[in-house]
Amino acid sequence: MPLVTARFADFVERDARTRGTPLRFGFPPYPVVGMSRAVLRQYIEGNDPITVKPLMEEVIEGLTSPLTEGEKHPTPAPRKPQRPRLLAADSAENLHRQFMENGWTDGLPIVLPTENRVAEMLAGTDHAPDEIVGRMCVTTHQERLEYTVEKVAAIAVMAGARPEHFPVILALAASQEPSMPSSTTSWGRMMIVNGPIRNEIGMNCGVAALSPFNFANSVIGRAWTLMSINFGDARAGENFMATFGHSLNYNNMCCGENEEMSVFEPFHVQKGFRPDESVVSLFRGWNVLNFGIGVAKEMAHVISTFGSMGTSVTFVVDPLVAKNLRAEGFRTKQEACKWIVENSTLPAGHYWKGEMQAGFAAGLAKQGIEPFASLAKLPKDAPIAPRHSPNDINIVVVGGETNPMWITTDFAHTQSVSIDKWRPKGGLKRDAKPLRMPEPVICKDGLCGIPETAPNAEPVTAAD
Amino acid sequence: MEENGKLTVLDPHGQPSGIFGRRLDAQSNPRAILDPREQPSGELKSISMAPRLAALDGKTVYLVETGFAGSFEFMQELQEWFSRNMPSVKTVIRHKRGTMFTDDPELWKEIKSSGGDAAILGVGG
Repeated sequence: MPLVTARFADFVERDARTRGTPLRFGFPPYPVVGMSRAVLRQYIEGNDPITVKPLMEEVIEGLTSPLTEGEKHPTPAPRKPQRPRLLAADSAENLHRQFMENGWTDGLPIVLPTENRVAEMLAGTDHAPDEIVGRMCVTTHQERLEYTVEKVAAIAVMAGARPEHFPVILALAASQEPSMPSSTTSWGRMMIVNGPIRNEIGMNCGVAALSPFNFANSVIGRAWTLMSINFGDARAGENFMATFGHSLNYNNMCCGENEEMSVFEPFHVQKGFRPDESVVSLFRGWNVLNFGIGVAKEMAHVISTFGSMGTSVTFVVDPLVAKNLRAEGFRTKQEACKWIVENSTLPAGHYWKGEMQAGFAAGLAKQGIEPFASLAKLPKDAPIAPRHSPNDINIVVVGGETNPMWITTDFAHTQSVSIDKWRPKGGLKRDAKPLRMPEPVICKDGLCGIPETAPNAEPVTAAD
Repeated sequence: MEENGKLTVLDPHGQPSGIFGRRLDAQSNPRAILDPREQPSGELKSISMAPRLAALDGKTVYLVETGFAGSFEFMQELQEWFSRNMPSVKTVIRHKRGTMFTDDPELWKEIKSSGGDAAILGVGG
């Protein structure tokens, strides 16, 4: 008999009905995490908040009262019907209202996906409109909704994108990852584009790259979230359970890596792509945790102090920081990450006090799962590196050299997806006069008094 | 196309696929639950519940802690409740292996082969 906290009673009962697996749940009060033994005892001795019956009476009844006919012969909820391709014709005003009231938008005005606009967007790829791109869901276990190239085009139109952006948006769709996976902890995401397409479609990788000053960055990041809402079937409170939600969900930190000003090899090349390939890399975590100035030693110090549910960190560093890391002697991002991991330690006693570690890692340690099992045996003053592998640390170079700073995120890299697969063979479909916002102002010679590279520094690959 | 002041637009919502995500297999990479390419999925199969016991007195009930923070402490309190209120019920606490999303067929086998009569799993959420 499963016990689930009362906060999720509707969620699990609905899910069980959908799956045709009726279960008798018991619902202790919420929350359980962080509660003292005395409070948990009260939960057990008290009532189920949903039924207002004594919890333990329900548990005993659940285990002993005979199954009903419906429980003996369960059937799944009927399969949802296929949706018509077109909505009923209506005025623009009414359609905008319909989209908003149905929860199909991100709360901002959208561009209505008329057949003409979608057809125009479809020119941004050679793939057939009815080709299935993928399936998505914001939860791990509910029904995945399927989407075609045409559906993705409708989303791209809604986001305000142009056909030249469509290959990147299709690559995001092909990842099948929602920008807003559902968790009570409120996930945040980042997407970094590498390769020639950044410049072809006018993405910003430099000054203010993460701020709303660039058309491509804005609409592509937005499209990922509109896809997550419509293909991931996100419904706040019903299956999207983020307690705060996250403002990163609006744009997902969409930008390009500043390959031109970086002394390191681009992120996608680290992941096995060629430099001339265009790729979008996805990251997943919870937050931007701080900004820092000062290099490897400070980075190591910062990440040793943050508790985390995972072990990953992604630093977003200005090109000046990359140059300084090179001047410190790190020939590659990987060398810097290795040093940071080895030097970001804290005493074991301090590590195990963290709520995340005590709550989750401790359970894994009890099961003998490494490295936690070994970490749990260390004396209190023994140093632990909370990030266990250099592969858990990422560095991406973004920014315009107005400040030698970096930001720390707890993001893990999830996957890198080819954009080129979705390009039309005849070349990107550009408007006759492509729409661009004002370019960030830079100094006359482009150097702004900053040396192009650190002394004796040449970009090297990890293989050197 | 606009006709009489009305527009026709495409429905942006994805189509039902009949494919649902599943819990991870025992040997799955724990991180696979977050990766739609790796997480097991498939069509639904209805499963009925196991038959119920006539009573719990004298039976063995496994208390399976699934890995959410606070679950182990909750199961410890549950065990103590049985000791105080139904001392003829033998309770056995077990941690489910892997993450909270991972199947543990060895544990289910243990429960069946070691004389387990029932199991309470928790605490989700």
